[in-house]
Amino acid sequence: MDESPTFSNTNQGNFDALRTIIDKKYCYLDYKNINWDSISNVYQKQVSDTLSEFAFFDIMGKMLGELKDGHVNLYSSFDRSRYWKWYTDYPANFSEELIKSSRYLGDNYRIAGGLRYARIANDSVGYIYYESFSSGFSDSNMRYVMTYFKDCKGLIIDVRDNGGGDISNSEQLASYFFTEETVTGYMSHKMGAGHSDFSELVEIKTPAHKTLQWQRPVVVLTNRMSYSATNDFVNRMKIAPNVIIVGDKTGGGGGLPLSSELPNGWLVRFSASPMFNSNKQHTEWGIDPDLQDSIKKSDEIKGIDTIIERGIKEIKNKP
Amino acid sequence: MKKNIFLVLLLIISLFISAQSVDEKKYLLKTTTNTYGISTIDLLDPYLSPLVYNGLGIRYDHDAIRFLSTENKKISLQNNIKFLGGITFNPTNTASMTYIGMNYQLGTNFHFQPIKRFRLRAGGFWDFDLGSKMISRNINNPVNIDLATNLNLSGVANYNLTFCKRELGLQLAVQTPILGCMFVPLAGASYYEMFDLWNLSKTTHFSSLHNKRAINGTFSVDVPFNTYTLHVGMRYQGLKYKANDMVFERNELSLLIGTRFDMITFAGRKIKAPKNFISTNE
Repeated sequence: MDESPTFSNTNQGNFDALRTIIDKKYCYLDYKNINWDSISNVYQKQVSDTLSEFAFFDIMGKMLGELKDGHVNLYSSFDRSRYWKWYTDYPANFSEELIKSSRYLGDNYRIAGGLRYARIANDSVGYIYYESFSSGFSDSNMRYVMTYFKDCKGLIIDVRDNGGGDISNSEQLASYFFTEETVTGYMSHKMGAGHSDFSELVEIKTPAHKTLQWQRPVVVLTNRMSYSATNDFVNRMKIAPNVIIVGDKTGGGGGLPLSSELPNGWLVRFSASPMFNSNKQHTEWGIDPDLQDSIKKSDEIKGIDTIIERGIKEIKNKP
Repeated sequence: MKKNIFLVLLLIISLFISAQSVDEKKYLLKTTTNTYGISTIDLLDPYLSPLVYNGLGIRYDHDAIRFLSTENKKISLQNNIKFLGGITFNPTNTASMTYIGMNYQLGTNFHFQPIKRFRLRAGGFWDFDLGSKMISRNINNPVNIDLATNLNLSGVANYNLTFCKRELGLQLAVQTPILGCMFVPLAGASYYEMFDLWNLSKTTHFSSLHNKRAINGTFSVDVPFNTYTLHVGMRYQGLKYKANDMVFERNELSLLIGTRFDMITFAGRKIKAPKNFISTNE
């Protein structure tokens, strides 16, 4: 029963540990055509045991940035490395100031769990802003929300700038919009050290909630910062009945992350279990909306959120 | 004549009184030991971290043993339950792993007494082991569950040593698992996949000496005082097991202190206390 080889707590030892963790456990090396040996050899040349903690951390962080994955981070006591280009390279398409204007949430919006909600468009459309899937909500919260919107023609669920959180909240929220249990995706995990050693695909099902179902039109608003558990939610809602996705492509983040440690105590987070849509395609690079739209500057100046207005229009156009 | 009748009656009455005062019924005593301990703990759980975590813990053990019957002093029935809680840290103290665990055992022993003052017993035990390890800063894999059941072999040696006018009870006990079953997650699988999607394939493993080795050794001394018997000792527990290409370890060294006493239970209609046992329940 030999244990796995251990690494020394030196800069070189920690570099080797990080290189090995990614090589054996990161799930997208083949999918993203990343030559990890080549990349790590390039950064290896910059590593020496005389480097300061900060300089060494920066080198390791840059190396991880080559994976182009928002779920890959190195955590030390003084910094967290990150790759944010999945949204910083694109228009924001969201303004907290806009959604808080009197045209949308206003000052008197209601709060139920992690959901902020109000009636908009002369009370004809229900609007929910969900900021983070780390904030939960109960069936009781949702019952009150749906009751509040009972005279509305449709519902807008705005998950722009929602960077993710608890994936079980994604399943719960989606369940209110399905009429029967539906296979909405798949997942697998690494089975071995090889870059393509994966388990069989496991079905991810979205249940139909037993007592609460919204069966009127729904518009889900997305932008590039809709990531991780939000990406999972959008993936589920993409095939829900009466739902359309409006806005910009989501940021992605289709790999469920796990974590490990380096000998110096730094934590590394990395994508370990790839998730797929119902057609068994990767969701790592994001999900396209059904209707692409962006916030126009001219609208923004007038206090109008173009994407919300598109959602309102789509609901009103429904028979 | 009257005097003879009176003497006969007195004799009959005295015989009757004598019969009532002599209680020859045998009772089984249960020897119970309650022990508290402080432990140093080493944990290696590659599902949570490749690093060995070291720290301290506290434990409580309750052990009870009695012979199977009053006529057979060769076979005893034993059960014990143990609890351990601890907090450990990685080598650079940047993260902690908390551990909470319990172990329940039930088994039998065969008793030998090869020479005076020296007793041996050999036994077989079934046990159930349940524990939880947590590194709160981990993402999507902050917790791992230790879940196992084993059949164990056990050996105990007892020696009564007279020292400073006290009869000390020295005991050396050793136990090892020989086969069983354990839960070990796949290194790359999240608990979401296992317990939300219910994909538990390759998580249940048969264990035996090829993939699980453990030793549980305790040396203790019973010191009788006026109204109680002090039980002190040291225990070493070493556990190493491998599954799904991961090797797990849990090592513990404990200092123990507690008390040992013999007790008997009277209850119900058939096991009534003799009249000279006074109870508040009458």
